[in-house]
Amino acid sequence: MTVDIHIINERCKGCKICVEVCQTNVLDIAKEPNLSGYNPPYVKALEDCNICGLCEMLCPDFAIQVSHIKEENK
Amino acid sequence: MNKSGFTEEKHPVDPLLHTDSIPSGWCSGCGIGMVVNTFVQAVNKMDIDVENIHIVSSGIGCTGNVDQHLSFKSDKITDSNVIAYAAELGAKKQDLKVVLFLNDTDFIASNIDEFIKAGKSGAKIVVIYINNYIYRIFIEHKALPKTPFLKSSSKDKNATPFNIPHLAKVSGADYVARWTQLHIRRLMFSIEDALLTEGFSVIEVVAPCLMYYMNKGNTGEKIDRMGVYKENSIIKHLEPTENLDLRNQNEIIVGRFLWRDAD
Ligand code: SF4
Ligand code: SF4
Ligand code: SF4
Repeated sequence: MTVDIHIINERCKGCKICVEVCQTNVLDIAKEPNLSGYNPPYVKALEDCNICGLCEMLCPDFAIQVSHIKEENK
Repeated sequence: MNKSGFTEEKHPVDPLLHTDSIPSGWCSGCGIGMVVNTFVQAVNKMDIDVENIHIVSSGIGCTGNVDQHLSFKSDKITDSNVIAYAAELGAKKQDLKVVLFLNDTDFIASNIDEFIKAGKSGAKIVVIYINNYIYRIFIEHKALPKTPFLKSSSKDKNATPFNIPHLAKVSGADYVARWTQLHIRRLMFSIEDALLTEGFSVIEVVAPCLMYYMNKGNTGEKIDRMGVYKENSIIKHLEPTENLDLRNQNEIIVGRFLWRDAD
């Protein structure tokens, strides 16, 4: 039972929704911008993730994914 | 490739997307993107042939871009014909699921008669209506006269917003639900139910346009994007649709209000 949060930096538009919805503060906004000038999130505390999958479902640009959930749904 | 098996630039739902057009052109954080994400996740999860899904959108308003980002079969129709076209398409092929993405401009402002007609004639379509509280965009760029939580942009104190779930019910819909962009998982279940429903399904998603409501201006108070839904929405399944007015009340009643298959 492993969790991995994968962020596709170049798709991110920096809306911070994933950071806002995460109830356990796993994610935070990075200081480094991506090529489009937006600051994507990074994984701050992976061990706190309770695999709710909200960040993945709410990202408007398909930039974030939580791997454990995918395995379960298959 | 990393240890969980996905490559650097891939998302599990990428086969259902036109990845060239992502990131999308919608404003950063707009609810339309979330609804599209939810729709794609719902289809991905269901055991449904993607060849049997047909997206119809119109040329006006921000939901008009939905088809550009999805690799489903799709059509873009002039705004006042979009519901009539979808109804015809649904009638032509038995197992085709026609999904319409509509917003205020191509729905309330120019298409409400076709909506009633489609409901009354039992059209086989799924309407996903993204209520971004913009209205009358053609005539003057202005928000809906009265929106929940917000001040009126109109001098007419009696102006009220439209109660879409009620209209859908009295038009003869088979499935009616309303969610906000925060209730994303329930919205996903609703989209699944609507895709399985034989008949006219209507899902309203409350997702105010950020261009207006993230800034304090003459259209109202600034809203806090997700907190406002968390604090103000109440889930009431099977609530009579008469009570679902968004008028000036500090609450959004969400839920599944009608599902004839389940009755
Ligand atoms: S899956 Fe849930 S807990 Fe984990 S990072 Fe995403 S929102 Fe936070
Ligand atoms: S929700 Fe998506 S687009 Fe928005 S900041 Fe997070 S990863 Fe970026
Ligand atoms: S925030 Fe408003 S203007 Fe921007 S994409 Fe969404 S609906 Fe359109």
